[in-house]
Amino acid sequence: MKKRLIIAIICLLVGIVALGTILNYTFNPKPRVIAEETAAFSTTATAIQLEFSDSELKASKKYLDQVLKISGEITAIETKSIILNNSVLINFLGDTLPDVQIGSVLLIKGRCVGFDELLMQVKVDQAQKLNK
Amino acid sequence: MKTMQFFKQCLVVCTLIGSLQVTGQRMVDRNGQVSFEASEALFEPVEATNNSVTAVLDVSTNEIASLALMKGFRFENSLMEEHFNENYMESETYPKATFKGQLLEFDLNSMTTEPQKIRVNGKLTLHGKEKAIDTFLEISAAKEVLQMKGSFSVTPKDFDISIPAIVQNKIAKEVIISLDFNLKAL
Repeated sequence: MKKRLIIAIICLLVGIVALGTILNYTFNPKPRVIAEETAAFSTTATAIQLEFSDSELKASKKYLDQVLKISGEITAIETKSIILNNSVLINFLGDTLPDVQIGSVLLIKGRCVGFDELLMQVKVDQAQKLNK
Repeated sequence: MKTMQFFKQCLVVCTLIGSLQVTGQRMVDRNGQVSFEASEALFEPVEATNNSVTAVLDVSTNEIASLALMKGFRFENSLMEEHFNENYMESETYPKATFKGQLLEFDLNSMTTEPQKIRVNGKLTLHGKEKAIDTFLEISAAKEVLQMKGSFSVTPKDFDISIPAIVQNKIAKEVIISLDFNLKAL
């Protein structure tokens, strides 16, 4: 009788913990870590800008929220962002810019946020520098 | 030969003057900040910030345009971010929010480090719907940077965004949108 009670209590406890874990994972999923994901597409700054300016709807369906590898020449360095070929604006993880110069080639991995038609630029965030 | 050279020089001078005029007219911020807050007391805060909002001011006409990409709004809670994009804003269909308007009685040259209240009038478009916005911005100028700060409120109803009954009392009826732009001459 006592043994049964103990088993029942253990089962109940395991059940509660399992339920708790499941609920926790459903309602508090871990945030996405872009740096750990593999890129879905590899492209150049000019090519992706062209795709967006050509058909924003089509390009949005393809690239929005996807992790991309993008390479290009640095045309501007601002306080919080770097611009590649005047066509892709990149914000970096933790807002820290890599140590680079205008004119050098940069390869990054980041998340595509969308197309900014005021600037005619594709925006990428949570990026990290890949090339040396 | 000489005339050719003269023409070339003229062309260079013309393009230089042209570019100066164009660049002198616009001020831009590519990393402006826009946040919104729709929290209800006792429930988890409903708030998000976008740190890469574009704002462009045409100094000659005082027209202002701003664009925020929906996917650029970051939440503390990633599930909330997912719901925001998928259920409420439908970011795949409506990927951006835009504002187009006009600063009233604004003169760039009379701006000082002391913020001045400037009225702005325009239209906010998001989720495929438009709403007229009439509010005040605090504008100050320091070291070639024009800073604009302000806030105004909208309701999800304004933009045809329906909040399911189950979360209705966790999301405020009035959503407060605040902005902080630092514009520099282009």
